[in-house]
Order: sequence, then C-alpha cells, then structure tokens
Amino acid sequence: MAYIEFKNVCKDYIMGEVTIHALMNTNLSIEKGELVVVVGPSGAGKTTALNILGGMDTVTRGKVVVDGKEISRLKNRDLIKYRREDIGFVFQFYNLVQNLTALENVELATQICKKSLNPSEVLDKVGLSERKNNFPSQLSGGEQQRVAIARAIAKNPKLLLCDEPTGALDYKTGKQILKLLQDTARKENMTVIIITHNAAIAPMADKIIKFKNGTAEDIIINENPMPIEEIEW
Amino acid sequence: MKKALLKDAFKEIKTTYKRFISILCMALLGVGFFAGLRATSPDMVDTIDKYYKEQNVYDIQIMSTLGLTDDDIKALQEIENVDKVYGTYSEDVLINIDNKEYVSKIMSLEEVNKPVVTEGKLPENKNECLVEKSFLGATNKKIGDEIIVEPNEENELLQETKLKITGVADSPVYISRERGNTDLGAGAIDNYIYVNKENIDSEIYTEIYVTLKDGDKYETSSNKYEDYVEETKTKIEEIKEERENARYDEVIGTANEELEKAEKEFNKQKEDGETQISDAEEEIEKAKKEIEDNEKELESKEQTANNEFSIAEKKLKNAKNEISENEKELEETIEKTESQIEEIEKKRQELVENLDTVKTSLKTLNASYDEILKKLEDENLTDEEKEALNTKKEELEKQISALEATKKELTSGIKAIEEQVNSADSKLKSAKKEIEKAKKEVNKQEKQLATTKSTTYSQINSAKEKIEDAKKELEEGEKELTTKKKEFETKIADAEKELIDAKEDVEDIENPEWYILDRNQNTGYASYIQDTESINNLSIVFPIVFFAIAALVSLTSMTRMVEEERQELGTLKALGYNKFHIMLKYLIYSSLATIIGGVIGIFIGIQLIPRIILDMYGMMYTLPEPVIGLNSDNSMLGLTLIYICIVGATIYAIIKELHEKPANLLRPKAPKIGKRVLLERITPIWKRLNFSRKVTVRNIFRYKKRVLMTIIGICGCTALILTGFGLKDSISEILPNQYEKVFNYDFQVTLKDSLDNEQREEFITDLENKEGINKAVETYMSSATASKDDLEEDVQIVVPNSNEELKEVIKFYDVKTDEDIDLKTDEVILSDKLAELLNVEEGETIKLDGIGDSIQEVKVSNITENYISHYVYMSKELYTKLYDEEYKPNVLLVEDDNLTKEQEEKITSELLDSGKVSGVSLNKTIMTTLDETLSSLNYVVVILIVSAGLLAFVVLYNLANVNISERIRELATIKVLGFYDKEVYNYISRETVLLTIIGIALGLVAGYFLNYYIIRTCEINMLRFAKVINPLSYLYAILITVAFTLIVNVITYFALKKIDMISSLKSVE
Repeated sequence: MAYIEFKNVCKDYIMGEVTIHALMNTNLSIEKGELVVVVGPSGAGKTTALNILGGMDTVTRGKVVVDGKEISRLKNRDLIKYRREDIGFVFQFYNLVQNLTALENVELATQICKKSLNPSEVLDKVGLSERKNNFPSQLSGGEQQRVAIARAIAKNPKLLLCDEPTGALDYKTGKQILKLLQDTARKENMTVIIITHNAAIAPMADKIIKFKNGTAEDIIINENPMPIEEIEW
Repeated sequence: MKKALLKDAFKEIKTTYKRFISILCMALLGVGFFAGLRATSPDMVDTIDKYYKEQNVYDIQIMSTLGLTDDDIKALQEIENVDKVYGTYSEDVLINIDNKEYVSKIMSLEEVNKPVVTEGKLPENKNECLVEKSFLGATNKKIGDEIIVEPNEENELLQETKLKITGVADSPVYISRERGNTDLGAGAIDNYIYVNKENIDSEIYTEIYVTLKDGDKYETSSNKYEDYVEETKTKIEEIKEERENARYDEVIGTANEELEKAEKEFNKQKEDGETQISDAEEEIEKAKKEIEDNEKELESKEQTANNEFSIAEKKLKNAKNEISENEKELEETIEKTESQIEEIEKKRQELVENLDTVKTSLKTLNASYDEILKKLEDENLTDEEKEALNTKKEELEKQISALEATKKELTSGIKAIEEQVNSADSKLKSAKKEIEKAKKEVNKQEKQLATTKSTTYSQINSAKEKIEDAKKELEEGEKELTTKKKEFETKIADAEKELIDAKEDVEDIENPEWYILDRNQNTGYASYIQDTESINNLSIVFPIVFFAIAALVSLTSMTRMVEEERQELGTLKALGYNKFHIMLKYLIYSSLATIIGGVIGIFIGIQLIPRIILDMYGMMYTLPEPVIGLNSDNSMLGLTLIYICIVGATIYAIIKELHEKPANLLRPKAPKIGKRVLLERITPIWKRLNFSRKVTVRNIFRYKKRVLMTIIGICGCTALILTGFGLKDSISEILPNQYEKVFNYDFQVTLKDSLDNEQREEFITDLENKEGINKAVETYMSSATASKDDLEEDVQIVVPNSNEELKEVIKFYDVKTDEDIDLKTDEVILSDKLAELLNVEEGETIKLDGIGDSIQEVKVSNITENYISHYVYMSKELYTKLYDEEYKPNVLLVEDDNLTKEQEEKITSELLDSGKVSGVSLNKTIMTTLDETLSSLNYVVVILIVSAGLLAFVVLYNLANVNISERIRELATIKVLGFYDKEVYNYISRETVLLTIIGIALGLVAGYFLNYYIIRTCEINMLRFAKVINPLSYLYAILITVAFTLIVNVITYFALKKIDMISSLKSVE
C-alpha cells in the first residue's frame, strides 16, 4: 500500500438545491518522500483533494489513507491532531499572522507540536536569518512565503501541502520558492505536494497528477525530475 | 440600476442578519432606554396631573389664623383667574378604638379635592363617613362599622360624632404616607376621615381652596402652571391685608359687642345687687327700730303692772296682818279657855278618881256582902254565927247605901263640869271659825293677785321673748346681709376681672395672617414632584452612557462592514456610481436597523420603564393607574440621536474608504501592520511572558479601537451595576448614620411653652427617674433661616443647656477629618449639607434670621457630619449674647436603656398624658417609616443591573462578532495549524479576559464617580446620602459583569468552532 492512498473519494457540496460534485471517484496514490505536482484547470478538484488530504475537509464517500491511518474516518478532534502533527500547509497568500514577527509566526506552529524543529534554525534554512524579527509587512512576498514554508516545515510534518505557493509571486521569486520546496523534499525526504496552474513546472516533480472534472485523470510518474533551476517558463 | 442596489441592500441584510440585529439591538436599547427614561418623569407628572384634574384638586390654598368667611370667598371670587372658591372644614380629632387612640384629620367632603372611593360608597347622611384604607387595616374595622369621635374641648366641628363607615377612599391631597402634624396624641396625624358637609357645625371655614380659570390648560408643576399660580397668588396677596383686616375687625367687632353687652349686664347686675343690699339694710334698720319701740312699751307696761301689784300686795298684807292679830287674840282666848278647861278638868279628874275609889270600895263591899250571903245560906251555920253575919250584913248594907249616895253626888258633879267645858269649847270653836273665814278670804285674794301677776308677767315675758326673737332674727338677717354683701362683692370683683380679662383678650387678638399656599406646600405632592425631577436628572445621565456606547459599537460594526465590502465599493466606484449611490446600500442597511430597532425600543421603553418606575413609586405614593403617554418629543429625539450616531458612523466609515482610488479599493486592504509594543522594550517583563501572552499583548495594541470599545462596554456595565448597588448602599446608610452614629438619643420630647423653670426641672427629674430612661438633655430648638449671600436654607437651631451634655446625645464629627469636634462658645457648627448648599467654609460667617427679632451674623467654626435635615448648633453663651432673650429649653433629647418600641410608645403616651408635653417623636418610628420608603429602591438596583446586563451583552457580543470577522483569516490559519478548539478560543479569549479585567477595573472607578454623580443629582435638599459603597457591592458588580462576559464568551466559543477554514482562507482579501 502506498504512503498516501485515495480510494474512490467523492466530495459533494450542497449549495441550496444544487449539489456540486467537487470530487468524483478520485483514486490516486503517493509514495513517501515524493515531490508531487498537481495540475489542472480551476474547479477541477485539486484544492478539494488537497484540503481533504490536509484534514481540513472531509470526504462524502470513499477512503483516504495516510501512512496507514484512515483519515477519512477521523473525528473532528483527531482531525485537528492530524493537522497539528502530520501536516504542513503553505498557501498562495501566505496567511501569516500580521501581528507576529517571522520568528514568532514559526513559533506559533512549533509551540503546539511535540516533534518540532528549532524555529530559528528553520528560518536560517529558508534563508531568512536576517529577517527573523521582522513583521510580515516588512517582508517581501517571497520572504513572506519563505516564512510560511518555514512555519510549515518547522512542525516537521509528514506531508507538506502547498496550494499555489507561487501564485502571488513574480517569476524569479516563484522559482526560488519552488527550489526551496524541491530542496526540502530532497533533503528532508519529506512528501511535498504542490498545486499549481503552471503546468510548466511539472518536470520538477517525481509524480504529476492531472485533475480534470473532479477527478485525477492522469498520473504521470517522472523518472527524471529536473532541478527547478533548469526549468524555464 | 438603483433597483439593483436596493436589492443588494436587502440581500446584505439577509446574509449578515447577525450584524443587522446587533445594530438593531443597539438602537433598540439606546432609544428604548432614552425614550423610556425620558418619558418617566413626564408620565409621572401626567399621572398626577390627570389625577388632580379629575379630582378637581385646588391650585391655591388659603388658611388664616382666625378662620375664613363667606366674605373672604366673595372677595377671592372677584380676583382675575380665579375660577371657583371653596370654603372647607377640617379638624384634628382623636378616635378611640379598642383602647388605642388614633389621631384623625376630619375633612368635609367638597367638590374640590374629591377623594376617590375605592370601596363602598360616599356617605349620604350626617352620621356617615369615609376612611382611608390603612385605617381599616390598623383598627380591624369594616365598612358598616361605627367609630366615635372623641369630644374636643376647643372646637366642636361635628354635629354627629358617632360615624358609620360607608366606604374607603384615597385623598388626592395626601398621596404620600405623610399625614401632617398636630398637637393631639403623639403629635402626628395617623389618617384622614371624610364626613358629609351637613355634619359640620361651623360658619367659619378652616381653609379655602381656589381653582383657577383654564387651570386645565396647564400641566401641573410645569413652568407655565407655576407662573400662572404665582401670578394669581400675587393678586391674592394684594387683597390679603384688606381681608385680614376685615376679618380682624369682624372678630374684634363681635368681641367688642359681646364685651359691651357683658359690661352692660355687669353694670346692671352690680346696680341691682347694690339696691337689693341697700333695701335689705333699710329693712333691717326699720326692724331694729320697731323692736326698740316695742321694748320701750313693754317696759312701761311692766312698770305699771309692777306698781299695781305692789299696791294690791300691800292691801293684802294689811288684811293678813289684821287676821293674824285676830288670830292672836283668839289664841289668847283659846289659851285662857283652855286653862279654865284644864282646871275644870282637874276637878273633874278628882271627881272621877273619887268616883273610882267609891266604885272600888263599893265593889269590895259588894264582894264581902256576897260572901256573907253565901255563908248565910250555909245550913251548918250556927245561928250566932248567922246573927254575927246578919249583923255584919246589915252593917255592910248600910255602908253600901252610903257609898251609893256619894257616888251619885260625884257623877252629877262630873256632869256639871263637862257641861262647862263643852260650852267653852263651842265658844272657841266659833271664834276659830271666824278667823278661818277671814284667812280664807285673804288667801283667796292673795291667790287672785298671784294669778293676775303671773298672767301679767307671762304676758310681759312673752312679749319680751318675742322681742328677743325679733332681735335674733334681725341679727341673723344682718349676718346674712353681710355674707350676701361679701358674696356680691367677690362676685362683682370676679365679674369685673373677667370683664377686664375679656377686654385684654380682645386687645390681644392679633391681626390674622393669611397663608397663601399652592400645591408645592403639600408634602406628598411636593416630594412626588421632586422625585419626578430626580428621575428627570437621571434620565439625562443614563441614556448618555447608553448612547455613547451604542454609537461606538455601531461605528465599529459599520466600519467593519464597509471594510469587508471594500472591493464592492471599488467596483461600484470604478463603474462610475457617485458617492451617494454607493452609500445608499449602507444607508438603507443602517437606517433600517436603526429605525426598526429604535421604534421597537420606543414602544418597549415608553411602556416598560415608566411602568416599572411608577410601580416602584406606587409603594410610596397612593396614585391611580399610571398614565403612559407617547412622549413623541423625547421618543423622536432619541430616535434622531441614535440615527445620527449610527448612520453618521456609517457615512463616516464609507467616506473614509471612498477617499481611496478605485484601483486601490479593488485591492485588498493591507492588513493592519504588526508593531512592536512598548512592553517589548521592557525586556525583563517581555521575556517572562510566554508565547501566547505575547501574542495577546500585541493583539490588544493592534486593534485599539475595538479594544477601547470592549473596555468601554465592560466599564459601562460594571459602572452601572456598581452605581445600582452603590445607590442602595448610600441610601440605606442614611438612617443608621443619622440615628445611630450622629444622633445617640432615642426620642425627642417637646415641652409645652407654658411650663416655667420649676415645672420643667420637676418634669425632667420625673422623666429621668422613670425606669429605662438614662438621661434627658435640655436644649432650645427653633426653626430659622440661614443665609449667605443670596443662598438661603431653612434650618433647625439647636442651643444646648450644656455643651458637654449635648455631646453625649449628638456626636459631632468633622466632615473632612472625621474627628470629634467641640461646640465653641462664640462660634457655631453647621451640618455639612447645609454648608454645601450655602457654600460656606469653616471660618466664614452666615446670617441667621428667625430667632428673636434680629438678624445676626455668626461665625462657623466647624462643619459636622449629618444626613437628614439642616442643623446649626450654637452655645447657650452665644445665644444669650446675640439675642436679648432668656434662655429657655423647649426640647429634651432623651436617651433610654435600649427600650423596645412598645416600651417607648408607652412612655410616650405617659408623657403626653402629663399635659406638660406638646409632642414626642421616637427615632425608632422615624426610622421604620423611612426604612419602608427606602427599601423600594431595590427596584432601582434591579433596573440598573438588567439594563447594564443588556448593554454589556449587546456590546460584548457585537464586539466579539467584529473581532472574529476581522481576524477570521488569522483564526482559520491557526486552526489549520492544528490548534484545538479550546486553544483557538483561548487565543481570542485571553484578550477578552484581559480587556474584561481592565474594563472592570475602570468600571469600578467610573462607577464610583457615576454613583457619586447620581447621588448628587438625586439627592434631596434635606438629605445627605452617604458617600459609601459597600465592599460587597464592588464584588457584586465584578461578579455580575464577569457573568455577562462569560455568557458572551460561551457564544464566542461556538462561533469560533464553526469557522470554516477553507472558505476563510480561500477568499482573497
């Protein structure tokens, strides 16, 4: 059994009288330490799948197993525990707490987590040694996203889930962020899943999952992932 | 396109109904409270106004020291503005029921001040009456029972004193429990009784009530009404003197007339008496003379009688003498004769003796003869013998015959003698007879004389006796006359004195004084109106708190709403909508919330709040159902104010946003910049804080506006609650402070003026000797007016006989230092509220008017703690120095040995019975009465707590909502990071707790001042509220605020739990 397994996962959103089928019989599997890029058009179900995987949403039907734990059957509190211990999230808009410095934002995550890493060291790792005590408003977009990544990996999670991490960033900065993520996956042997519109970055992944119409239409295993520096778009 | 905007507005309401409702609630509370509280005072006035109009209650009341007459009524009728004038009667009487004495005020039933009959019916007959409800309660009487009014010495107002109760009534002129004072019984009137006018036996009215023309047009106690009444009063003042003089003349006139009549009568009686006496005297003189004449006549008569009698007596004497001479002669003859007889007798005796011898010899001879005879017969006899014998015989016979012859001779001699004696005897006898006859004659004459004499003398004596009797009678008559005379003299003297007294009395009749009063002098009415003013003052302060908070909270809400829809604003602006159109949606939104909330608030507020407050006052006043008016002015004002606050806040928020260019608006608003706070610079403290504390501190400084709002909300809540409790504390402290801390005596005895020093001393000794009485301190008390510059207050002057003694029953504590003060000999002590009202400091001087004839300036040495009424304490030395009067104590302050109320009441009635006391007032009674009144203040506390709670709840809930919506991304983020629900809650609530603590702390301070302000606003002139808030009240305020905060926090907890991470994070802000 794979490290991460989606089995016939369905997710319906009931909006008044209309039912939207966000996911329909999605099946996929990801191995531990893989860098996965999820691509697909808007509304194809990428984010829904990621949210379910991250314990932020529940399935309507089907089964999701992460590291042998069937998270689709977890109750609210266990789900929070799962998020707390096993998941690191990176969002498009960073979602840093504005009132906390870079370091404090990382600490916000580590203080609730038992096996966490040293926040300061993590920030050093993401290249923000000089910016630790700056507030988000004093940081550039890329720097903010680094803080967000630092916050996510400082928890030492099983999965690092990134939803459009470069969506709000310029090309160069985006590349740096992707590099950071790729490096993290390689060096820390962390399972990293990146959602993106940008199919061009797909070659950097070990596995590319293509979503369309609410299901993982195509799963491509990339035998030779390219370093991000070599990819141009 | 406008239609689209409108549609958008309504959709907005639907989606953000919570916000809409919270704004609506703020408006509801703010307007409701404002309108309700503002309406209360007018409603209270309306209630009494309607009541007074319905019962035709007077506008002006006139009383006079000499009563009032029909002429007065006529004169008043002439005055402009005067509508109707009613002369009425009243009198204080005693009613004894089951050995308990009640003091009642009897009033005549009139067309003015009509009582409201609540049970039974109006009296129809002379002997019927209406009583008040409490009377039945106190006496256990029922409708239909009879009561008897005790006869009153001074004035018999009633014809029928046995009255049947026909019903129960409320009097509009006695709306409070105060029934006034009297000099009967324990000094206070217990209840009132209405009787039929027919039962009144008097021509002089006790009081006149005047109603004014168009009085209905004005609302009682309104400025217009007061002015109108004042104007009319001034007009009445104008005729006052004339009427007083007229009444004086009338009273003096009748008095003088009566006096004259009395004098005439007196003179006539005096004259009559005098003539009577002189007549009697004359008669006595006459009688005396008569007696004298009679006496003289009698004397002469006696003289004549005496003379006559002496002549007759002489004659008689002569006759007697003659007789006695004749007797003597006769006696001599008798003697002679008798001696002759004696001689003869002697002879006869001799003869008799001879005869006897003869006879004896004869007998012996005869015997010897018989023996011879016998012997002769004997046969044996010898003849010799016989012869011897016969010789003898013959011899004997011879002897016998001789003897016989002698005998014969002798007997004839005796016979002759006897004859001689007999003739002598008869001669004597006839002589004797003659003398006897003469004697008899004399005796007869003598007897006759004696009888004549005795009759004459008895006649004289009886005449004498008669004269004596007449004399005695005369004497008695004389005696009687003198006593009568004396009597008459004293009587006349008395009558004269009476006459003089009466004259003096008439001279003493003072010019009567008219008292022209209006409703404000009616205790119940005045205190009610004062209460309406207090409520009015309150209704200004409280709504301000509510308004301020409502405005601030709405501002936050609306600002947040506008911020949330920033992009929409940008879009609209970019599309070319003008400001008004963009604003329209928010204006509709906020206006709808405000107007709906406000209107609901008005309807709830003006119904509920006045009703609650009036119900509360219903316990202190007897009033009809409250009149709840719409009070549209205040309601509209409230609505307008809140509209300006909320909609104004909305406009402000939008305009602020619209300043930015559309392009900027389309971009999400830059989140609030994180900043280091000052505290971080203080490393030692900062270091010690754990991570989440640090976050809390930062957040507090980040959302300043909301933090401020929260603090203000909680602060207001705590302050209101504290004020509620504090108000209760302050008021409930008044009584113990005044009657336990300041006044240490138990009752106050007012002595009658007529008591002289000796009687007073005696009374005090008696009183102090009573069981349970510790001491009685003598003081002189008098009402006066104290003034400084143009400030003036009525005060009670207390002048103790001994400063030291006074200190034992009245404690002086300096207001500032709380130290004991001594009353100085040349300066006065003022009670603190008085000092405050007159704006007097220690060492300054005040003027005193009303004692003696002069206005005097005195220096204030100290200001003492006092809670009820105003007092000026002055030493005896200063009093005698200032006023040219003798110091005469009139009030005793008595301390007893912890007696019960019953024991004290017993002593009270004993004291009143002594006739030396004009009144006794027990501090215990005062305390219970006041206590009942003050206990109704609990309602104020309840109202304050409920409103404060509502306020706190709405504010906190609203702010919590804003807080969550403003920080939803942050909250979603930490949720995603894996914070448990409780941790998320703590993340937020740590701030709330801190803010609550700060808010409570500030609220306690604000509450202290608000309480102080409210107390000062509500404080009645005569009362000093204690500036104390019980520590427990602080605790209650804290606990209740915490409780409200907790409720809101529980709601927040569930709201946080419901936050949807995905949608919160997905949205581009």
